[in-house]
Amino acid sequence: MDILYLLIPLSVVLVLLVLLGLWWAVYRGQFENVEQEGERILRDG
Amino acid sequence: MSMIFAAAQDTRDAAIASQVHRSPADPEGESLLDDPQEWASFGRPSAPAGATADLWESHVVVEGMHCAACALTIEDALRSVPGVERAEVSAATQRARVVWQPGQVLPSQWLAAVRKAGYRALPAMDAMARDQRVREHRKALWRWLVAGFCMMQVMMYAWPAYVAEPGDLSAEMEQLLRWASWVITLPVVFFACGPFFGSALRDIRQRRVSMDLPVALGMAITFVVSTAGTFEPDGVFGQEVYYDSLTMFVFFLLTGRWLELRLRDRTAGALEAVMNRLPASVERRMPDGAFERVAVRRLGPGDVVRVLPGEAFPADGRLVEGRTLVDEALLTGESTPVVRNVGEVATAGSYNLQSAVLMQVQGVGADTRFGQIVALMESASLQKPRLAQLADKVARPFLLLVLLAAGLAAVWWWPTDPGRALMVAVSVLIVTCPCALSLATPVAMLSAAGTLARHGVLVRNLQGLEALASVDTVVFDKTGTLTRDGMAVRSVRNHTDLDPDEALSLAASLARHSLHPVSRALAAAANDPQRAQPQQWQVEELQEHSGLGLTALVRDAEGRLPARRLLLGSARHAGAPGEQGGGVGQWVFLSWQPEGGAPQELARFELTEDLRPEAPRVVAALRRAGVDVQLLSGDRSPAAARLAAQAGIEHWRGDCSPQDKLDVLHGLQSQGHRVVMVGDGLNDGPVLAGAHVSFAFGRSVPLAQSRSDFVVLGDDLSLVAQSIALARKTLRVVRQNLWWAAGYNALSVPLAIAGYMPAWLAGLGMALSSLLVVLNAARLSFGLQALAETGLQGTADLPLTQAAPRAV
Repeated sequence: MDILYLLIPLSVVLVLLVLLGLWWAVYRGQFENVEQEGERILRDG
Repeated sequence: MSMIFAAAQDTRDAAIASQVHRSPADPEGESLLDDPQEWASFGRPSAPAGATADLWESHVVVEGMHCAACALTIEDALRSVPGVERAEVSAATQRARVVWQPGQVLPSQWLAAVRKAGYRALPAMDAMARDQRVREHRKALWRWLVAGFCMMQVMMYAWPAYVAEPGDLSAEMEQLLRWASWVITLPVVFFACGPFFGSALRDIRQRRVSMDLPVALGMAITFVVSTAGTFEPDGVFGQEVYYDSLTMFVFFLLTGRWLELRLRDRTAGALEAVMNRLPASVERRMPDGAFERVAVRRLGPGDVVRVLPGEAFPADGRLVEGRTLVDEALLTGESTPVVRNVGEVATAGSYNLQSAVLMQVQGVGADTRFGQIVALMESASLQKPRLAQLADKVARPFLLLVLLAAGLAAVWWWPTDPGRALMVAVSVLIVTCPCALSLATPVAMLSAAGTLARHGVLVRNLQGLEALASVDTVVFDKTGTLTRDGMAVRSVRNHTDLDPDEALSLAASLARHSLHPVSRALAAAANDPQRAQPQQWQVEELQEHSGLGLTALVRDAEGRLPARRLLLGSARHAGAPGEQGGGVGQWVFLSWQPEGGAPQELARFELTEDLRPEAPRVVAALRRAGVDVQLLSGDRSPAAARLAAQAGIEHWRGDCSPQDKLDVLHGLQSQGHRVVMVGDGLNDGPVLAGAHVSFAFGRSVPLAQSRSDFVVLGDDLSLVAQSIALARKTLRVVRQNLWWAAGYNALSVPLAIAGYMPAWLAGLGMALSSLLVVLNAARLSFGLQALAETGLQGTADLPLTQAAPRAV
């Protein structure tokens, strides 16, 4: 189980990266207007 | 509270704007937006990285969207305009954000594109306030996401320690897991907990205790204990770490806060939407004598403006040319038109009825009487309702008690297990919810006030809500409250064998060209679909004589019969013999003047003030709710009697002077009744102030003199009954909240002291408790009860109208 000594710190780094991604999403307005973006695909042309 | 002040200002602006500029589809209104000075009111400069030219970002409200596909159509329409860099339209919020280049395009051009697509766009004046709220939202959302995600990760790291049998988990592995948890908890403590720590620090500096202090203290202690346990596994705190509890209760608390934020914004957004409209405009004389249409906000003292008939005066000023009739009902309650000659003063907000005049502006905006009136209303301090003050008084010692209890619990448990002792203290700190106590009243009152504001009732005084809930008598003033502004044709009496309907349509053909209240009544009566279809007459050489009547040459539609000269107006004007005695209304005469002969009366019309159609229903609803209804009127007794009978009011009194009304009021109060007075605020000043609660109908009220607790901006009498129902419901909700707060604390604090409450459960409990209080209060923001249901116990609430667009 020595691999855990690598994996656990790696997961911490991943968590921090995910937090960064969430920050980007929130401040770029990804969480506003969620339904309309889904309907955009139905638009013609 | 600020949203109520904002609503007052907005309705003032909206009232003037809606009267000054009466053609909303007029492109001229849109062209006003090409003025760079206007841009800042609904947008701001946009400076994305790498942009070479000046860009401006504007927000507009789009009307007419009924689906998401519309949003895409509008986006395409906007993007096809050269100079528009970006356009985003949201169907959910009915708003559009347009980034455009001032050098290449002007707002009126891309607004025209929207219009061509079939929709209408208005500048979103509330955009800046909304923007601020969007930013607040994002920050709150981000904090919540951080807390949530880290909570999940920390839980994963904590799991092995939960399920491990002794010896399964090596000390190094456990240490590694603790370290990992510590790192993940750092963002939560130093970022997500920001609002709690900030608020607690403020409290300490101001030597005050608020509900964030115990919470912040709890968070701090937990983190310190767990950190100590991580760094010194063999130390006194090394037995257990509590990162999972910490992140969990932070998450729960933030969830509660976020939902409260959403709820608060829902009400605020609806009120701010009132502000969105084209800028009010008026024609101003330029130095060379020509006239240009400018925005009202650009006027200054000394400007000469031309006010057309049908417009409202945009400012206080003196007439320099022309004479006209003005309707000052908005300011004085008198709907009888008043003559204004050259040299006389016209006030902002009064309505030009007859002819175009030139006016020299003397006072604008806040300097006008109207502006001062509204300012007075805005500055009326909102006293905290009695119940809220009581709750505040209890909350402070309660919090100190909580801190004490936590300290004692820690001391009690310390000999057994120091780590546990501190965590028990933390549980005590977190589980108590004084927030339920201090939130209970304000959140309910504000919800109710917001609902009322959306339906056109401004609450000047939150104490009024509390008082309104306990009234048992309503006293109505006659003019302007039970009756509508303006008049109605009550009967037609024909002198010759002319058909009454034909007489009415003849009269209306003249009356249509005049804005006098009597004329409007005649025109409205002729348009009544219940009457026979009016014949079309050709009217020539129409003349209006101030204060007397109208004359015109009237010809048959086909032009066959010779033109007849008709006179419509007072008895003197129409040459008719004196007023017929009796009756309760005003008489208007229609006569025919043959060439060179005396006028011959054709018909006469009786006009009376009109009882509001909803009045009988409202009186019935009030009765059902257990409220007695009375009528006090300054008008003659026969008129008052007739109205009382029509409305279904048993107790009435006519010929009342203001002193009489006051005496009746005192009489009722001395009998132990709690009275709400509904008036137009005109000669009821002292009476309105003397009643327990008072309503003023805003259309004809001098707001400065009105000391009423509620101002009804619309025309609907049913709002009185609905407000009473809402006030009663509000008080019920407040009591429910207070009981819940007391009960919850009484139960949970002993449990926490006894050690049965782990920290995460404490956090969950606190969040759920305050959430419950807020959601209970949110029931008040669903809308007003339908009039038919008022007074019936246990009836489900029906949302009556959604007066404002729904904002997500």
